[in-house]
Amino acid sequence: MALDSLDPRIKRCNLQEQRTKDFNSQPLDQLPTYEVFIQLKETKAFEHAGIVHAATPDMAFLFAKEQFSRRYTCTGMWVVPSDRVWVTAFSDLEENIYDQIDEMPAQEAGPEEDYEVFHLIQRGKQHQHVGRVTANSHLQALQKAKVRFNAGKPILNVWLIKINDLQTTNLEDHVIWSTLHEKTHRDVISYRAGDKLKQFKEKQQPDG
Amino acid sequence: MYGGGNTFEATKFDNLAKEDPIKLDEFEARIAGGEKIEPADWMPVLYRKQLIRMIEQHAHSEIIGALPEGTWITRAPGFKRKLALMAKVQDEVGHAQLLYSAAETLGKSREDMMQDLINGRSKYSNIFNYPALTWADSTIISWLVDAGAIVNQLANSKGSYGPYCRALERICVEESFHLKYGHHAVIHLATGSKIQRQMVQEALNRWWPPMMHFFGPPDRISVHTEVLMKWKVKMATNDECRQQFLDMYVPKIWELRLSVPDPNLQKNEETRQWEYTEPDWEEFKRVINGDGPCNKERLAVRRMAEERGRWVRKALLTPDAKYVTPLA
Repeated sequence: MALDSLDPRIKRCNLQEQRTKDFNSQPLDQLPTYEVFIQLKETKAFEHAGIVHAATPDMAFLFAKEQFSRRYTCTGMWVVPSDRVWVTAFSDLEENIYDQIDEMPAQEAGPEEDYEVFHLIQRGKQHQHVGRVTANSHLQALQKAKVRFNAGKPILNVWLIKINDLQTTNLEDHVIWSTLHEKTHRDVISYRAGDKLKQFKEKQQPDG
Repeated sequence: MYGGGNTFEATKFDNLAKEDPIKLDEFEARIAGGEKIEPADWMPVLYRKQLIRMIEQHAHSEIIGALPEGTWITRAPGFKRKLALMAKVQDEVGHAQLLYSAAETLGKSREDMMQDLINGRSKYSNIFNYPALTWADSTIISWLVDAGAIVNQLANSKGSYGPYCRALERICVEESFHLKYGHHAVIHLATGSKIQRQMVQEALNRWWPPMMHFFGPPDRISVHTEVLMKWKVKMATNDECRQQFLDMYVPKIWELRLSVPDPNLQKNEETRQWEYTEPDWEEFKRVINGDGPCNKERLAVRRMAEERGRWVRKALLTPDAKYVTPLA
């Protein structure tokens, strides 16, 4: 029996009532994931925003733009496949993860490459970009990052991403965010109804 | 934002005695100290299971919740309303994405979540099994259902699981315009012609009983509930959420000279609690188990979307694609 729907678009699909529970998803049917980093202002660091599911970096970029930057100003976006992020263990609250480098297993040296370095300094917050190092392995990158970026608060967790794995925006791409300020229909301020409500209430109480 | 994470039955109470007592102590101390739990941390099996279930059902509620309102996009009265409703529905679908991602960090793949939704093994907020018969219904959903969800979600955003809290914070910020838009649209109808007032009153009458179901039946206070509250998985009881909702929105309904279809609804000034006719929990059970006016349609639409898009996703997939659990 075809399902009736109030939505004309759904009615046209002529959907049949589902009698079986035989829906099967194949592995990767929902595509692999990409981690997304956002820069809210030019003066601010890139910060981890979340993930998107996508087939390619370009597609990840489009989805990330919709998902994480359709509401607020944005000056840059990076995406990277989730499996290309190198992650340290989490340190306990008062400890600094950089103090544990000596206990980490040695790594074979490869070609020199650039790595972007991200820090987590508070649980519940997101990783922030702190800078770039050139190294021949993740471990060496971590050692160099310790020298350059380890200051102040204990670092709880570090992510390293080779810059060749990152898909980044450049200045010409910024035009994709240029229409944001015109889209006021997503702003609370566009839905002021106080006056109308006041008038209505006054009319209800003519002697008050 | 569509809540209802609290309205579903809990996972079976696992025996905590099986957990490593030292790790359990550390875990509980961390939560008691106001710290967040992150995906890589040790956590009890029950905590993981309960959170997957809650976040997944919340995500399903967002993606299914887009359907009753989506029904009115093509027939919204005027360009401004259409633009707003489209943006709102897009937000809801985006919220589903954020929540699915948070659940994925706990180790359940999105494929498995989709499969469980479509095969009826995993629930979503019961309120979306009812139809939006008129435009006024869609405005009542935008206003009151979103309001109810905000009550739920603000509570949950103070919970202990980092990725879920971050998703909820983002959702709550985006959500602020939905409530204003919904209220604006309801005020427009309620201060309009006689026919418009009648339309919005009838819609309110239709949505009131599901709205009273929305926060779920009164919680049975059990050891299980106590544990989940200690672990900051459950942040407020169903009745607390319902009372808060009534406190905030009944006066706003009354000031529009609309009536709530419950002659017993009143605030007891002594207890400072709202008194109301107990909603029909038998109907709630019947509908949540599949026998509501729209259950079949909601799942069939979701199944169609998944099946018709499958070949596109397959064609796009590169041979080296590999799934790893996302990071945070």
